[in-house]
Amino acid sequence: MRISNLLSTETIVLSLKHSDKEGIIEELLDLAVKTGKVKDRKKALKALLDREDLGSTGLESGLAIPHARTNAVNGVAIALGISKEGIDFQSADNKPSHLFFLLLAAENETGVNVQVLALIARMNLSSQFRSKMVSAESAESALEIVRAMEG
Amino acid sequence: MLPTLPINKILVFIDGSEGCILAAKYAIALAKITRAQLKAIYVVNTNLLKQLSKARIFVKIEEMNYEHDLEEDGRRYLKHVRELGERKGLTVETELLKGAVHSLAVQKIDEWGADLFVMGELEPVLSRPDTFHDETEIIFRKAACSVLVVKNADFVEQVYNLLT
Repeated sequence: MRISNLLSTETIVLSLKHSDKEGIIEELLDLAVKTGKVKDRKKALKALLDREDLGSTGLESGLAIPHARTNAVNGVAIALGISKEGIDFQSADNKPSHLFFLLLAAENETGVNVQVLALIARMNLSSQFRSKMVSAESAESALEIVRAMEG
Repeated sequence: MLPTLPINKILVFIDGSEGCILAAKYAIALAKITRAQLKAIYVVNTNLLKQLSKARIFVKIEEMNYEHDLEEDGRRYLKHVRELGERKGLTVETELLKGAVHSLAVQKIDEWGADLFVMGELEPVLSRPDTFHDETEIIFRKAACSVLVVKNADFVEQVYNLLT
């Protein structure tokens, strides 16, 4: 399982337009739709927002992983948003979030979903990874940083 | 008559990856040829689920739901492996475990007295070796018996299909 295989330059945005949680989720969901795996955008959005209602997916060290399991998608769809300035996403450490990995997985993709969540969290443990991603100047270079991290 | 090889107990690791079913097919072929006992294990990685909760990626209810669903996945995969064995006239014993994947797999190798541990291809490892571990790689390194990493899908499929 490689995150870089699930991402493409089409599903990465370097400057998020929105600065509120719902707006960011919608913006990233629009990118995820480009993967062709999202069968029902409305249902996928509801699943993401329902999950967010259980507790913010804003984690520590500038990472947010809005995610949901839903049959509104086929397989696993990921989109990545980057904010140089950082955005309040009600993170666990009360610090602004810079990297937003939106992850949607079909209900029957539990194992893959868990692996992807763990991989993203582990990548973000590297301060070098975080700073390189925030300084990425193009979607291609962001994707390359992820690829390099995966070895 | 085929020669008897010094393999009596083969343990195959099932983790839901693409490679694990290939590993199961090859293990079935090996068990048939060597007349070894074959057992398949699936470990629900509850340790990882707990880590995801600790990192606040999961809320408690998610952790519980994922654990339940991974158990279901495990049962389904093990049933499939039993069926793969039955198709070739081989009984495959199966066991679902829960906890730390590599610890339980290594423990099972010892407990059951496996001579050979069979698993699918290793996942790519992220570039920070101190923090990024693949469970199968740890098993590969810690297993007390020989470990076979199954590759070459076309060849394995051919071997499995030729079994009577």
